[in-house]
Amino acid sequence: MHPFALLRAHDATAAIAAHAQDPELAFIAGGTDLLGLIKDRATLPARLLDINGLPDMARIDARPEGGLSIGALARMSDVAVHPEVRKRFPVITEALLFSASGQLRNMASIGGNIMQRTRCAYFRDEDDLPCNKRRPGSGCAARHGLNRNHAIFGWSDVCVATNPSDLAVALAALDAHVIVRGASGERSIPFSEFHRLPGTTPATETVLKRGELIVAIEVPPSPEGRASHYLKLRDRQSYEFALVSAAAAVAVDGRRLRSVRLALGGVAPKPWRLTAAEAALSGVSLDDPGALARAIAASFGDARPLAHNAFKIELAQRVALRALQIAGERA
Amino acid sequence: MNAVGQPLSRAEGRLKVSGRASYTADRRFSGAAHAVIVHSPIANGRILSIDTSAAENACALAVFTHLNLPRMNPTPKPWSHLRPHGQGHLPLQDDSIYYAGQPVALVVAATRDQAAHAGTLIQVEYEESPPIVFGRDTAKAAIDPPQFLWPVASAVGDAERGIAAGAVRIEQTYSIADRHHNQMEPHATTAMWDADGSLTLYETTQHLYGTRELISIVLGIPAEKITVICEYLGGGFGGKAYVWPHTLLASLAAKLLNRPVHLQLTRAQMYAMVGHQAATIQTIALGADKSGKLTGIRHDSISPSSMFDNYIEYAALSTRSLWSASGGIATNHKIVHVHRNTPTAMRSPHEALGHWALEGAMDELAYAAGIDPVELRLRNDTEIDPHSGRPFSTRAMRRCLIEGAARFGWEKRSPEPRSMREGGYLIGQGMASAIYTHWRWPAKARVTLDRDGSALVEIGTHELGTGTYTVLRQVAADALGVAPERVTVRLGDTRLPPSHASIGSATMANAGASVMLAAKAARDKAIELALTGRDAPFAGTKADDIYVGDGMLRLAQRNVGVTYAELLTRNGLPHLIGDGNYDPVPEAEGPKAVFSFSAVYAEVRVDPELGLVRLRRFVGAYDAGRIINPKTARSQAIGGIIWGVGQALLEQSETDPALGRFLNRNYSGYLVPSNADIPDLDVHFVGDFDADASPLGAKGLGELTAVSVAPAIANAVYHATGKRVRDLPITVEKVM
Ligand SMILES: Cc1cc2nc3c(=O)[nH]c(=O)nc-3n(C[C@H](O)[C@H](O)[C@H](O)COP(=O)(O)OP(=O)(O)OC[C@H]3O[C@@H](n4cnc5c(N)ncnc54)[C@H](O)[C@@H]3O)c2cc1C
Ligand code: SF4
Repeated sequence: MHPFALLRAHDATAAIAAHAQDPELAFIAGGTDLLGLIKDRATLPARLLDINGLPDMARIDARPEGGLSIGALARMSDVAVHPEVRKRFPVITEALLFSASGQLRNMASIGGNIMQRTRCAYFRDEDDLPCNKRRPGSGCAARHGLNRNHAIFGWSDVCVATNPSDLAVALAALDAHVIVRGASGERSIPFSEFHRLPGTTPATETVLKRGELIVAIEVPPSPEGRASHYLKLRDRQSYEFALVSAAAAVAVDGRRLRSVRLALGGVAPKPWRLTAAEAALSGVSLDDPGALARAIAASFGDARPLAHNAFKIELAQRVALRALQIAGERA
Repeated sequence: MNAVGQPLSRAEGRLKVSGRASYTADRRFSGAAHAVIVHSPIANGRILSIDTSAAENACALAVFTHLNLPRMNPTPKPWSHLRPHGQGHLPLQDDSIYYAGQPVALVVAATRDQAAHAGTLIQVEYEESPPIVFGRDTAKAAIDPPQFLWPVASAVGDAERGIAAGAVRIEQTYSIADRHHNQMEPHATTAMWDADGSLTLYETTQHLYGTRELISIVLGIPAEKITVICEYLGGGFGGKAYVWPHTLLASLAAKLLNRPVHLQLTRAQMYAMVGHQAATIQTIALGADKSGKLTGIRHDSISPSSMFDNYIEYAALSTRSLWSASGGIATNHKIVHVHRNTPTAMRSPHEALGHWALEGAMDELAYAAGIDPVELRLRNDTEIDPHSGRPFSTRAMRRCLIEGAARFGWEKRSPEPRSMREGGYLIGQGMASAIYTHWRWPAKARVTLDRDGSALVEIGTHELGTGTYTVLRQVAADALGVAPERVTVRLGDTRLPPSHASIGSATMANAGASVMLAAKAARDKAIELALTGRDAPFAGTKADDIYVGDGMLRLAQRNVGVTYAELLTRNGLPHLIGDGNYDPVPEAEGPKAVFSFSAVYAEVRVDPELGLVRLRRFVGAYDAGRIINPKTARSQAIGGIIWGVGQALLEQSETDPALGRFLNRNYSGYLVPSNADIPDLDVHFVGDFDADASPLGAKGLGELTAVSVAPAIANAVYHATGKRVRDLPITVEKVM
């Protein structure tokens, strides 16, 4: 095991300062991703700063106007079963309950969840295989290797990995914001801008800068929240990352869709919002599956398959449709 | 009441669930150093240089490479189960690299984390060449291997003419992915040497004596000086029945450093430091007349082996004996040498691979001929083993088929594909049959009957999670006529009477038989005392008139009895010892062909748009002879079925074609079923006492139950969707 020093933070300002000054320091929350990455030698920080002791960062606040504020240190399991989360945004509860296992959800934090890194098997191999994310310039073994679990949207020749977080898909659909604090104060990052596309620099996955700490996630009130659903498709029925997933939230006039929020997981380097489909779906009847499918297809013109994942282009549309229909039944 | 036949719970259950069972990987010994293997990331090439200085300067106590490790003796030829190496290639002997994951250095340090860290500081420079990997292309260049376990090819009659004469013909290619055992307990060894040059190995093994013999040969130590111990094994599935490189390395390091060395493979190393189940590409051809009676069968299989061994997956083995075919049956096996470590036996080697093709093709034949799949099999059932011409000792295939179908409700099935629905889902029902080789192997045991009326069973067999402690206790209890709680079982140590490898579902029938013989020998000594000893209570009667029960000897005619305790006390004896020596004729030589049988039925629910297949119901009817303990037997069966579900729907070790290495080397990438994937499983035993199989009447069970699960599920998927999947596992993209 790679040796590291473990430090404990008691105060956010000091933690942020320590992180800003020390390029070899990493925050650790639940440790469920970071320790695995260290064991796999995908990241080798010299110092871990345990942020679990930071005050006021584990709160789950149901805002009176219908939104939510979720502290970065709130545990996945606590958020999942929170009655107001369940009521206002079933898509969040479902995304969390379909993630990982009970034990992991008890440890894992919300901040850590949206920061988790790709499950690309090349990236996570202890033997340091060609991987631009892990060692820039070493190549991408997945590009022409085994890439069933890789992207159909947003990838580059330099990296074709997907983002594995289920929660992130729901948060992207709900237009959440990530609240981060740095030396110069707080900023609020729209969720769809939080994760980056790989381009030529796949090692940088988010817009978070050194010296920035995620403090909370803000989910704005939305008329679609209650009629929402997270559909996760995977080979195994439990305890597996998504092959393809979809978060759907809808508002309706009778059986017609008034507004739709739709995002996919397992298909892109970041949660993939289907904006063109959302626009095309407005006004379509829930009773017309053909029309729903055609509207969803509007977002698939730029899908590009790899050698082993062409089926995902069709599958993702079917998953999106099914998620939409289930959300529709909840409206 | 007899103990045999009772659903007794595991003798060691409490120890296991409370974490007190002494698993080898968990055992810690004072003064032990920890060794970690550094392995090659490349699959083909040569080590140009190796720099261990940084590791030595950090925290390593010692670093061994091919440059400083003593040479070992070559692995013995021909290969034998009695001294079984996992692979012929020995670690750290020269600079060549034949597979990714091959050991290139061994680092020893005070702790495992230190050894692992020091290992990362070793710099190895390689000359790299492109690897050969197994696939449809390389399979074209497959070669005829020399014989390994059975003859490579077989021909009874003229299969080709038989097939050609058939009114209905099927010819298809079926394939299965590489798979790994993925035992929960990783392979682990602690090696320690005594001043007199004797070696004690705490080893994760399902073959104590084989390990001892092989280590003796390769390291050049007399076998008597080696003790191998394994009291509990956290899963074997065949993979721990052979000696793999790490055991040799730990043994040598302990000797060279003169202190105990503990070595445990990492999860990722479990994918190359030890064997796996090789992929197969199988071609099957069937011919049948209009009534479905088979006229000919041809079954050929190609599988990969390492560059240095000729390992064969005998996938077509069972096709030699499962169904009769009037014209003839021909089978053949070929291999391809590729850059990987040597494959090995994995539950259920040979059988669970070949049935995939044979029982899939039988389903295709059933549809092509318009005959119900159960009826088709009933029509091709046989009392004579087509391969050897011998009659089967017992073959309850008919009962398996009929009783299994009844429990499942097969008669309610509508045969047309896509004809059964539930909401948006398609429902499919499929079935398959299986035959499994029964092994007869010698074993010895000792039973000590104590003056306090308790008994001790000693035998060098293994507890792999199968229930050995419990079933041996039941067997001894009945032979002695004592309550099972009065019997203690000791196993897992080469200082005990030698038994065979715990593979091939052979432990119950063979190790069990030796325990029965030993217990009877001890009982007979007690009877002798009762007839002729001091104050002999039954003097003047005959041994045949005496029976045992409740810890007593009793006379059949009169209501008199004497306890073992009284008898031994009266004779001034502390105990009586019975030795059991079970030495059966090997299975190939007896007058009867001995096999286990099954018919299994699966119901799946398919989401046709999303391609999701979920198992909904499963019924297995098994003929494994007499069932000694219905509870542990059922546990074995459900474990086997779940194992088969993994093969059918989830498991595949993927090889990167350019890097020539298994990629998904962990539980997150290699999917085994979770509880959520498994519905209620209905296990039904139909067998009877089979005297040819074993004096206990039992035939092999554990591996049988993993066979034909995959074809039953795939046949159900066909019935649900009309899609015939011939490549395992059945993943979403093959069904949607
Ligand atoms: C076996 C397994 C299965 C899993 N299955 C799923 C699944 O199905 N779906 C799914 O979505 N996830 C899954 N996960 C991932 C799991 O959800 C994440 O590991 C977890 O959410 C990470 O949270 P953590 O608190 O443990 O993060 P850590 O491991 O502590 O940290 C992860 C990263 O986040 C950074 N970080 C943590 N907190 C902050 C903060 N407040 N500000 C800035 N940076 C921070 C750390 O520096 C680190 O880089 C699985 C994980 C495992 C091990
Ligand atoms: S897809 Fe990205 S993470 Fe995977 S090997 Fe390529 S560069 Fe690395």
